[in-house]
Amino acid sequence: MSHRPHTRKAAEPLHEPAAEARNLAHKLGLDPYDVNYWVVDYDEMNELIAYNGFQERYPHWRWGMQYDRQQKQGQYTGGKAFEIVINDDPSHAFLQESNSLADQKAVITHVEAHSDFFAKNKWYGMFADDLDAAAMLARHADRIRGYMADPDIDREAVEQWIDSVLCLEDNIDQHEPFKRQYERAIGDDVDDADADLAERLDEMDLSDEVKRQVFDEEWLDAQEEAPADLDDPEKDVLAFLREHGKAFDAETGKAVEMEEWQTEILEMLRAESYYFAAQKVTKVMNEGWAAYWESMMMGEEAFAGDDEFVQYADHQARVLNSPGLNPYKLGKELWEYVENTENRREVVRKLLRVDGITWRNFHDTVDFDRVQDLLAADPALDSITAETVGDLESVDSKKVDTEALEAAKQGDIDVDRYPWKVLTYEGLAERHFSLCKPQNRGFLRSISQTKLEQYARYLMDDARYDSVEAALADVDYAAGWDRMREIRESHNDVTFLDSFLTPEFVTDNRYFTYEFSQTTGDYRVASTDYEDVKKKLMLQFTNFGKPTVAVYDGNYNNRNELLLGHHYNGVMLDIQQAKGTLERVFDLWGRPVNLKTIVKEVDDRDAEIARRRDREPDPEEVGKLLRYDGDEFTMEDLAWSEVEEIAATEVDYDTKPDEWLA
Amino acid sequence: MGLREDLERYREVGEEKREDLADFIQYGDLGQSLPDEIRIPIKIVDLPEFAYDRLDKGGIGQGDPDVGDPVGQPQPQPGDDGDDGDEPGEEGGDHDYYEMDPEEFAQELDDELGLDLEPKGKEVIEEKEGDFTDMTRSGPDSTLDFERMFKEGLKRKLAMDFDPEYVKEALKIEGWGPDRAFEWAREENINVSKHWLDEQYDAIPADERTTWASIDEMQENTRHRSAAQKIKEEGIRHVPFRREDERYRYPEIVEEREKNVVVVNIRDVSGSMREQKRELVERTFTPLDWYLTGKYDNAEFVYIAHDAEAWEVERDEFFGIRSGGGTKISSAYELAAAILDERYPWAEWNRYVFAAGDSENSRNDTSENVIPKMEEIPANLHAYVETQPDGKAINATHAEEVDEHFGDSEAVAVSYVNGPDDVTDAIYEILSTEAE
Repeated sequence: MSHRPHTRKAAEPLHEPAAEARNLAHKLGLDPYDVNYWVVDYDEMNELIAYNGFQERYPHWRWGMQYDRQQKQGQYTGGKAFEIVINDDPSHAFLQESNSLADQKAVITHVEAHSDFFAKNKWYGMFADDLDAAAMLARHADRIRGYMADPDIDREAVEQWIDSVLCLEDNIDQHEPFKRQYERAIGDDVDDADADLAERLDEMDLSDEVKRQVFDEEWLDAQEEAPADLDDPEKDVLAFLREHGKAFDAETGKAVEMEEWQTEILEMLRAESYYFAAQKVTKVMNEGWAAYWESMMMGEEAFAGDDEFVQYADHQARVLNSPGLNPYKLGKELWEYVENTENRREVVRKLLRVDGITWRNFHDTVDFDRVQDLLAADPALDSITAETVGDLESVDSKKVDTEALEAAKQGDIDVDRYPWKVLTYEGLAERHFSLCKPQNRGFLRSISQTKLEQYARYLMDDARYDSVEAALADVDYAAGWDRMREIRESHNDVTFLDSFLTPEFVTDNRYFTYEFSQTTGDYRVASTDYEDVKKKLMLQFTNFGKPTVAVYDGNYNNRNELLLGHHYNGVMLDIQQAKGTLERVFDLWGRPVNLKTIVKEVDDRDAEIARRRDREPDPEEVGKLLRYDGDEFTMEDLAWSEVEEIAATEVDYDTKPDEWLA
Repeated sequence: MGLREDLERYREVGEEKREDLADFIQYGDLGQSLPDEIRIPIKIVDLPEFAYDRLDKGGIGQGDPDVGDPVGQPQPQPGDDGDDGDEPGEEGGDHDYYEMDPEEFAQELDDELGLDLEPKGKEVIEEKEGDFTDMTRSGPDSTLDFERMFKEGLKRKLAMDFDPEYVKEALKIEGWGPDRAFEWAREENINVSKHWLDEQYDAIPADERTTWASIDEMQENTRHRSAAQKIKEEGIRHVPFRREDERYRYPEIVEEREKNVVVVNIRDVSGSMREQKRELVERTFTPLDWYLTGKYDNAEFVYIAHDAEAWEVERDEFFGIRSGGGTKISSAYELAAAILDERYPWAEWNRYVFAAGDSENSRNDTSENVIPKMEEIPANLHAYVETQPDGKAINATHAEEVDEHFGDSEAVAVSYVNGPDDVTDAIYEILSTEAE
């Protein structure tokens, strides 16, 4: 970023909030990467957004498109771009100069939580051990710019090649750790993609004997011309094309080996796809995580000063209440649900160990108001001011940061401003125990018999406590937060939604699914059922919300043709787009390409009958083979037995009610 | 920075990605456009990818409707936009629109179809101010032509200026004195005053007054600079501005003939005009309307629906109407003639009369009534568009009869639209027919 005095000045008031937000995040149990904050102006912000947060990307019109859209959008939102934070170690976050201090603080707290997510979520960890994304992308930019400037390479050809690869950017195996091309080939850990295989082997300094035995000529040849004999379909289509694809030479009409720049670009863009995949598969979780902790720090811990709070509330409302299915809101609510259920589990399990309380009599025996009172945080923790700070002496030392308390008493810590400084993680957990918040007061009571029984089943020591008081004194207030951190480590959006989206959530938010009606020619509400809504939601998150297409054969019909298969899950492909994509796949394969898929067909007679009955026609699922030979498309019917392997048996994402059908 | 280039490249790509105008007219969604703003879809998602069929995918909405209720436009879905932005409120959506006004549309259609319809001006509606190219001797200060005034002043200066040193030398000729010098100056066209000469003479010491024996001797020994030379050497001290040099610019008066056009759209709405035929009429008429709106300063439209009788309707209803009844095309022409006479006199309006239908008409109506009416109604162009998507019906001969009667006339066009593919040809046929 260029050095400019006026943004330096703008950055000045942000030093303290940035440092303190980090301290607070640590206190709350987060463990973010270091974050470098940059203050930028509105135009720079738009530029960064266009480049997905980075300062350097390879030349491509899509960045221009994003910039254009960003600018147009800015006209509606009044030029408020809130934050960009990039997944890197250290993370980089960009703050817009013109934001108010309250907005900046909100962004900073939000960013710290994102950075924690980047550092701790395992899907991010799969890309690389030592992350330096900015450098990687800048390197790619340099390389590609170099190819474009190379007089021996046609610039247009480079651009077209990039386009072709980008059409398949989501066709990777995002659930597998990213492996560089050579690693895939030789299953080893070398780290330079540039040299070819034989060279790499030399550099590995293997003994000649090993080379002779393991990596012999035959093996090398096999790597070059690997018979694409796939036991399992290859989801990483880009990798397969990189290994076995060819370029097409329009002049001779023949497939030719890819040029070096072609394989390099393919590999670089594939790496970028893997890098960005983690963000794509955790959008709800990650945004929800950031929104949750932002709200904790800004709202509950009053990180926004009193005078800034109203502004902050306004900022938050704008983010959370944008229409449609908003990942911030969905994610935040799911996290709160995780927190509440875990805290409830903790409390309930303690209560079930009280002599005389069983899962059967739970609702009749337990005085929930009293439980609520007992759970309430120690007043000394709840309200901390310079006057009352002395009261903390009497509190369990586990909950108090004794060193900080001493400092506070000396006046070295401004307790009124940063009350959290004198507490530990445990103390903060009690101070913010979710079940004590007004909006969650009914949550404990609302537990079902089934859940109670489930919790009771494995409880051996069921009469450990004589009284409710004794039991609740033992409650681990940090249970919810601990659990949340575990989940943020291992889940992605699909598993997260699958595990934590509840019927209550669907009902409370009045979600429904809709489907297209052939008869009326518009979208109609199809179902408000929890299972259906969840299924539809999962469809939008599974595999980036895109259909799964994998390589089934690299030597289809023994003619070196490529066979792709679409995993049909009840929703068919956009055939028009599939054709467009196949044309691009042809560029990367150099020989004819095929796609097996299943489409829904309705014959005119059925459609007419359905229309007369005011019902939906029941379409027939038909196997199809779409083939493109570089010149024209053919589409032929396939027997069901030939497409059985691509048809999903377990899920069908179609939520049309049966009674709609004719 | 690289992004500028990316943006430029995107604009280039975007321009290429705009739906082809002919395709748009033939197959595109005309309904997104307004009469004065034509919206042509641009595919925003320029690169194809393996994606779900939009209709088959369905989605999730929020609200309290009952199962079976229509949901209107699908709400943005999280999966719509797999991008990695972290900013809230990212928008999804597949289409953007390239918006053009009717002028641009007409221009593009001209380019695309190779048309060059030149609209004719009719009534003189005003005398408008043209460019400020005329001149007057008075006017507001802001219109003063200073450049001209300066040039005139300079000319004057060049004409009047003289070389004082040279004239002074003339006073030093033995026996001359101011009077003789003044005479000489007049002869030489040197603009010097007698008063100035008197003054200078007084200032010359007595012994110098006889420096030269004669004028010839003086001229041999002194240098005479012309006014231009003097200005070059000494610069110009001031340019005299004179009131008589002032000129004020004044706008040229241009006679403006407004290019008025009235387009009469006639459509057969009888029972035989089924959905598909109606749509073809709409596809043909709508671009014609846009085109003529773009070409003329002032375009008005008259919509006439007819079966056995004719009546005038609003545009909104025009393409949707369906009635029972038989067909008598002449009824529409009678109404058209009446409306044109009353509201759009031929002297003031360019007139286009477009009719469309499936060529079915009452027996003899075409030859006995319609053709004479068409000949009677003065217009830049009469056109008939036959829409017969399912092939020809035996008694549907109106178009042929009209075609036969008028032959290659430049005032009548007949075209046949049997499917969307024919629309642009029909439009070309119609617009290229107009008589010069």
